[in-house]
Amino acid sequence: MILLEQNNRIIVELLELKFGNAKEGGKPEAVNVNFADFDGVLYHLSNPENDRTRIWLSISLKFFAELQQHGADALLRREYGKYLLDQPERGYNVTLEFDLNNLPENTPQMIAKASALKRNCFASVFEKYFEFQEAGEEGQKRAVVNYREDETMYLEAKADRVTVIFSTVFKDPDDVILGKVFLQEFREGRKASQTAPAVLYSLGEPPLELKNQPGARVGDNVGYITFVLFPRHTNKKTRDNTIDLIHSFRDYLHYHIKCSKVYLHTRMRAKTNDFLKVLNRARPEIKGEKKTFSGRTFQSP
Amino acid sequence: MSANLPACVIDNGTGYTKLGYAGNSEPQFIIPSAIAVKDKVASSNAAALRWNTGGGARIDDLDFFIGDDALSPSAANYSVKYPIRHGIVEDWDLMERYWEQCIFKYLRAEPEDHYFLLTEPPLNTPENREYTAEIMFESFNVPGLYIAVQAVLALTASWQTRAANERTLTGLVIDSGDGVTHCIPVADGYVIGSCIKHIPIAGRDITYFIQSILRERESNIPAEQSHEVAKAIKERYCYVCPDVMKEFVKYDTDPAKWLRTYNGINNLTKAPFTVDVGYERFLGPEIFFHPEFANPEFTTPISEIVDNLIQQCPIDVRRGLYENIVLSGGSTMFKDFARKMQRDVKRLSDARLALSETLSGGRLKPKPIDVQVISHKMQRYAVWFGGSMLASTPDFYQVSHTKAQYMEHGPSICRYNRIFGALT
Repeated sequence: MILLEQNNRIIVELLELKFGNAKEGGKPEAVNVNFADFDGVLYHLSNPENDRTRIWLSISLKFFAELQQHGADALLRREYGKYLLDQPERGYNVTLEFDLNNLPENTPQMIAKASALKRNCFASVFEKYFEFQEAGEEGQKRAVVNYREDETMYLEAKADRVTVIFSTVFKDPDDVILGKVFLQEFREGRKASQTAPAVLYSLGEPPLELKNQPGARVGDNVGYITFVLFPRHTNKKTRDNTIDLIHSFRDYLHYHIKCSKVYLHTRMRAKTNDFLKVLNRARPEIKGEKKTFSGRTFQSP
Repeated sequence: MSANLPACVIDNGTGYTKLGYAGNSEPQFIIPSAIAVKDKVASSNAAALRWNTGGGARIDDLDFFIGDDALSPSAANYSVKYPIRHGIVEDWDLMERYWEQCIFKYLRAEPEDHYFLLTEPPLNTPENREYTAEIMFESFNVPGLYIAVQAVLALTASWQTRAANERTLTGLVIDSGDGVTHCIPVADGYVIGSCIKHIPIAGRDITYFIQSILRERESNIPAEQSHEVAKAIKERYCYVCPDVMKEFVKYDTDPAKWLRTYNGINNLTKAPFTVDVGYERFLGPEIFFHPEFANPEFTTPISEIVDNLIQQCPIDVRRGLYENIVLSGGSTMFKDFARKMQRDVKRLSDARLALSETLSGGRLKPKPIDVQVISHKMQRYAVWFGGSMLASTPDFYQVSHTKAQYMEHGPSICRYNRIFGALT
């Protein structure tokens, strides 16, 4: 698994189970599950008012208010239509409702859509700026999304490009180095694929684009990753794929840092085993008289 | 951030891994503890481990499948390995990668944000706990880790059926899965390691037994499906009866009430077939109590083993053990299993008390022993459920080892995991 999956497996499995059961005419069972996703997202799948034939899928994002400024509501309305509740469940930002007595025609497609709920919440801000770029509108305010407690994403549209900047915090000092090496490789990778967007990486302080941005973090363990997306990435055809990949980039990066460590550990274990073999070979033979069963001794050479 | 996000609970068993978020009543995933890897990434072969040798742009160390994917046709060119044997992790390279996908593909959790609760079998070595801690803290940067003993979690899972003041961590856990049945005595949260007993009878043996009965009688089951059918019959129709002889009579006098039919479909020809289900409904689970039905070399009933085991335990915990016999695992789910167990153990202990009374010539009047076998709804995933319950209490965050402690003291802090939750 090189790329992270976009959809949430727990939603897929739960809904497949519930919808499948409803289709076969089984008795609906109560459901109440709390689970999480990357970036501090919390989901809650439950039956409203103990009505087992209805299922609510709610999502809570800490930064939903920021996404709303960029038209998240409209996008969710477009994607989910009548399944979207006007008034989300208490304590959550968005709620989808499914009625088991009145299932959509194409359930697999619906499940796929529902499992991409987090991605669709994110998508609005990207779509908005991609539109700006397409229309050639410059001078729009930079979008700031605090997608995690101490990490932020900035988006800016120019006539010929959209710039996406992530700030990320490395909790472990080793991660800083691994992240740097990984992103260097990433930049190298661009040589192999001419169509890839330009990636810049700066450690410690924000890139020049964010010079006047208040609140941009500075510190030894803060990294900034800048993507420059050209029209080839932001046009209508490739847009969805771009959003898929870029919105989870931060998780992708941290996933690979962890994978690299796992890999290093594998190598370390292999090396230790090799060294142990050498050490065991070097163990001096115990000197002493060896006796046969009948009590005779060997002649020493 | 970790304060309001639920903890991740991962119970790695020999056959299946149960994983999910704390606070739920069922694990979100139950996947085989299998990992399918490309053969050349053997850890002994150093050359194969070098980045991208000959493989072009592929990254070999990420090229693997876990769980159901590992057994699916998409992993046909891979070799399937089970990193856990007899409950204990054998191959740490594979285990580390297994966890990697558990976290990122299944749970989709950023491990830096969630506390983790992992489980271990009784008699796991402290070194293994250290390895686990190293992997969790070094590779995944988890903020906190707690390693719980499976038997203790099974005990906590039974709390929900009891009043709050009866929550005890003393009890005997009967854990019966597919391969083997363990009887594990626990005193105040500590496993009495010397008294653990293994019984070579478990779910798979019941399935084989039912299969053999069916083979003699039912001719229309397709041969290649007979195991599957036997398993389905076991799960759907079997129950425990109080008396085998009476049960036979019941079936013979009123077959319509007791016989069942199982409808199956032949996998190859898609032709439907039916199977009559008769005596095997109660004979299947009966091999726990009469093992000689299925296994001529092993004839001790489970109730006798439990009674003997408690007698071997230190004298001051015996009453506590009798009072709290807890069932866990899928093969203890048969209806009335707990009731028969309780009756048989009670009979044995009463007989012993009566004997000591007669031997003393009537001068000693022993206080009767209260035998209680606890059965509850969460039995199948009792270990995971117990973990989920504990990991959603505020105490869990107090007793977990944190990353800061790990950095300060090293992996050895994880050798000891404080018991918590019980009213002490």
